[in-house]
Amino acid sequence: MSNIPSQETLRQMVSRWLPPHRVPQRFRIHTDTTDFVRVEYDDVVILSGRPYLIRHNAKEQRFGLDDEVKFWVKRAVDLEDGSLKIMKLVFYERFMSRIGDIEFERFRSPKKEARILDLVSGHKNFMHGYSIQDEKGNLVRILDFIKGKSLAAHVENMAMDHEAYYHECFPEILGHFFECVQSIRFLHENGERHGDLRRDHILIDRETGDYRWIDFDFNYKHRENIYGFDLFGLGNILVFLAGMGDVLLPDLRREAHPCLNTLSDADLNIIFNHRVVNLKKVYPYISEPLNRTLMHFSKGANWFYENTVQLLDDLEEVKNDH
Amino acid sequence: MTEEEKIFNKNILIAVDESDNARRAVSYVGQLLGGLPGFKVTILHVVPEPEADYFPTSTQKEEWLNQYILRMDALLEDYRRLLINKGFDPKGVAVRSMLRYCPSMAACILSQRDEGEYGTIVVGRQGLSRSEEFLFGSISSKVVNHARNCTVWVVE
Repeated sequence: MSNIPSQETLRQMVSRWLPPHRVPQRFRIHTDTTDFVRVEYDDVVILSGRPYLIRHNAKEQRFGLDDEVKFWVKRAVDLEDGSLKIMKLVFYERFMSRIGDIEFERFRSPKKEARILDLVSGHKNFMHGYSIQDEKGNLVRILDFIKGKSLAAHVENMAMDHEAYYHECFPEILGHFFECVQSIRFLHENGERHGDLRRDHILIDRETGDYRWIDFDFNYKHRENIYGFDLFGLGNILVFLAGMGDVLLPDLRREAHPCLNTLSDADLNIIFNHRVVNLKKVYPYISEPLNRTLMHFSKGANWFYENTVQLLDDLEEVKNDH
Repeated sequence: MTEEEKIFNKNILIAVDESDNARRAVSYVGQLLGGLPGFKVTILHVVPEPEADYFPTSTQKEEWLNQYILRMDALLEDYRRLLINKGFDPKGVAVRSMLRYCPSMAACILSQRDEGEYGTIVVGRQGLSRSEEFLFGSISSKVVNHARNCTVWVVE
């Protein structure tokens, strides 16, 4: 306990990084983060002697739902160097997840995330950080804050029609996405799964322009194909990127889109019945190699990717075609 | 032993788990071959080494594993009796349970085939939907696709 700074020392440290009116008079100090709900705004968490000032709880933003507060994920300031961090405290959960009519078990694992952080240290397509045990042995992950918006937000906010997007923006996005798939191949080759591949789990680093995967703590109980769920996630992102968003059956019906005359069940997502995968029927200028790749994620597919190498082979052809 | 004898020998490997389809596979072999001379059956259960990530502590993992193995030992004994009751010679029915790191259960089953001289592998059909098979893979499909020098029975 001797390496816990005094209140005065903490005030001095905080005043180096925050304006005077934001410096708290007194700090609640945590060296045990087991009860993460008690770790609040303006508290200080000390890990291996290094103090972190807690700011906000993180929120999950997705699909227009109300933001869900994640009490185990905090924004924090490293008081040694003033850098902004994301602090992930230990939270175990296991639950049955459902996609379409398929149920499978998912769980969070701090150990997994810590392991992957070590593995991807210095890799430009992943978030970076490290893990430290608090005094009770909780494996806390300290992540570098990435400035930039999610790939989902980037694509959804593009103010142009699909054809212009496809010709002007998609080739560059595809190039970045190709790197993202390569980086997932790197994980798989090292026996790791990402576990939660979603378009809002890629951040576009504002400083470097790199696409970077975030959030590695989810895992799933795999069955025969250990990487199948990761591949499904990659497919969903690819279809989203090619379509400049999800192309949904209800939207096409509302527009009385002419493609409805030719769309069949085989053209829809293998799991999500309302998402169109055969985008060439909606956007005829989409290239054949791209559409063929997309169709591996459709109900009509007779063969599904078993690994990222197969997907990368096809994406290479798609890239060369653009 | 000639190549032809290797393929058509009477050693059978039944790969089982706790599912109904595994019980159906055992029952099928019992009904089909019970009472016929010369057949030897090994009932195999591969205990997939549980992922450390799944358990908050190693103690919880050990507890889970111990309970699982006890349950599976009882199940294997139940299957053994089922075959004997169908007319198999008790000396010709063996059970085997083994703990393995198993990224692919099919690969683990097939590696057992390679270690023993089994002419036939029997597995139950999981009855997965097409999308489920696409997403998570199918053990029986992979066993069928990758088995060499043996016959595979997939029991519906």
